[in-house]
Amino acid sequence: MDAVKRALDRISVEQIKLELLGTAYNSSSTFLGKLDPRTLLVWYLFFAIVPWFVYNRTILLGMFILMVITTVLSRVSPYILFILCFGLISQIGWLFLLSLFFGGGIESLLPMLTLTLKLSVISLASITVFSSLDPERLSDGLSSLGVPDMFAFSLSYGYRILPTLLEEFHQILLSFRLRGQRPLKHGWLYCRTAVYYLRIVVLVFYPLMLNTAKRSRTTIEALETRGFSYALNNPKVKKLKLSYLLMKWSDWLFLSGSCLYITLLFWLGYLHPNLLY
Amino acid sequence: MSTLKMRYTLTQSQKMMIFVLSMSLYGLSNMFTELIPSIQLGPVELSVEYFAFIPLTLCMLFHPLYAAVGAAVGEIIFGELMLGQFGGLGELEKFITFSLAMYTAGRMVSDPKNRRQVGVAAMIGVAIHQFLSSVVDIVKVWVGVEELEAVKGLAESIVVIEGVGFLNDVLFSGILFALLPTLYLVPRLYGKIEPLLGMKPRERNMKYASGTWLSPKLVIGGILLAAVALGAELVSESGWSIGEFELPWAESNEESMIWLSMLVAAVVAAVVIISLLRRAKRKGQQAGQLDA
Repeated sequence: MDAVKRALDRISVEQIKLELLGTAYNSSSTFLGKLDPRTLLVWYLFFAIVPWFVYNRTILLGMFILMVITTVLSRVSPYILFILCFGLISQIGWLFLLSLFFGGGIESLLPMLTLTLKLSVISLASITVFSSLDPERLSDGLSSLGVPDMFAFSLSYGYRILPTLLEEFHQILLSFRLRGQRPLKHGWLYCRTAVYYLRIVVLVFYPLMLNTAKRSRTTIEALETRGFSYALNNPKVKKLKLSYLLMKWSDWLFLSGSCLYITLLFWLGYLHPNLLY
Repeated sequence: MSTLKMRYTLTQSQKMMIFVLSMSLYGLSNMFTELIPSIQLGPVELSVEYFAFIPLTLCMLFHPLYAAVGAAVGEIIFGELMLGQFGGLGELEKFITFSLAMYTAGRMVSDPKNRRQVGVAAMIGVAIHQFLSSVVDIVKVWVGVEELEAVKGLAESIVVIEGVGFLNDVLFSGILFALLPTLYLVPRLYGKIEPLLGMKPRERNMKYASGTWLSPKLVIGGILLAAVALGAELVSESGWSIGEFELPWAESNEESMIWLSMLVAAVVAAVVIISLLRRAKRKGQQAGQLDA
């Protein structure tokens, strides 16, 4: 029962607002954060795809060690790491239990350990890269790599509009609560309270949809008067906007260091494929 | 012609309005659903997966393509990037399955005032999305684990987990957070929200100007076929031999059986292609009459 109460406490809107704003506007000044966004994105692309096709445990372990080092370097918040570990363990745990049920044994644990290693390499890579890039640099990096500019625009727009939207959502929610009555008893397992709140949260979207429609019309009209869609399709504007991106010597150092490490790792992996269990 | 069929066309900025509206609304809701705790009953998780009613409503009221893509972008930006849990390439798969499902649901509705149509479309949209994402999850484990055959029970267990998750998401999340709110919202918002974006409401049986080739029938048919293929594959993998039957004389002349089945397949394919071509021709003629 305590857990439910704590969970309900956590979803007070004010709390969520603070937490979200904290994560979203946290600018980073780590080593990885100072690198060029393109470097990080290319680096990430390698570690997001290659581990799927590697079954050599020595290589995977080596990659995992590299990921741990970069994660420490980028000072990822412990809360996110906890969520990641919890997710991995619970997923693999349930798989293992059910495979026991279908007649597997302790030997089915080892291939699943390999899967865990793979998944953790991939997720640590994404956490490192995307937590050390602030939104502005991320969107510029993406658009210089050829992602549609509409996405870059949505990213900056999202960061800009979020506080306003949250404020509005909160006000409508409060007005709904003022006019309605919350259930007198919490009910079994706080069922009634939960249902009451979930219902309100859904209902709030009715006025919110109308308000947001009005707001998005204003936004787009303001953008159009400044020639937004013309600029979106003009290569000159894009070039001007991205001219500040520069590959420094630290970028090259980082990339070549990673390449060297991976080459050595593959060499070692083929020499000793079973260094680990 | 007096009964000229109006086509539903939008200007560039109206498309962008729909995109932005859908993105910010669904993104906002995604932030909340990421934070709402879930109740776990063993491997079954009762959770508020997502507020699917927002993209569903918008897809039914406006042009489904822009609303669907906008919602998928909103999920990535608000629900993942801003909360610092961006999954990288894995999000691409989510993006594609989600926008495809929402688009299909939106295309299925020709009359937003018709409650039955809206309800059916909402449930089918959620089911398509959940089915595709469970298939992707299953394939992920199959690719990721090398000795899948060697590990007894792993293949079955992942299918069971994903199957239970699928049922939960469709029946629990789907009904509570997709079906009921959509039924409530779509008829209420119809005709009210469109003027705020400076456009006319969708009229009954209006045709879309673009993207006609990606029809709901095509998507649903493809998914059903994929489901059958996957099921057959599973059955043959596990050796339950439900669908396996052998004619008594098949063993002796296996060669001719193969040719026979090839022949049947060829005939079926030919019939399908011819009928499709005919239909396209007929449609083209109708369109020509309209344009004239």
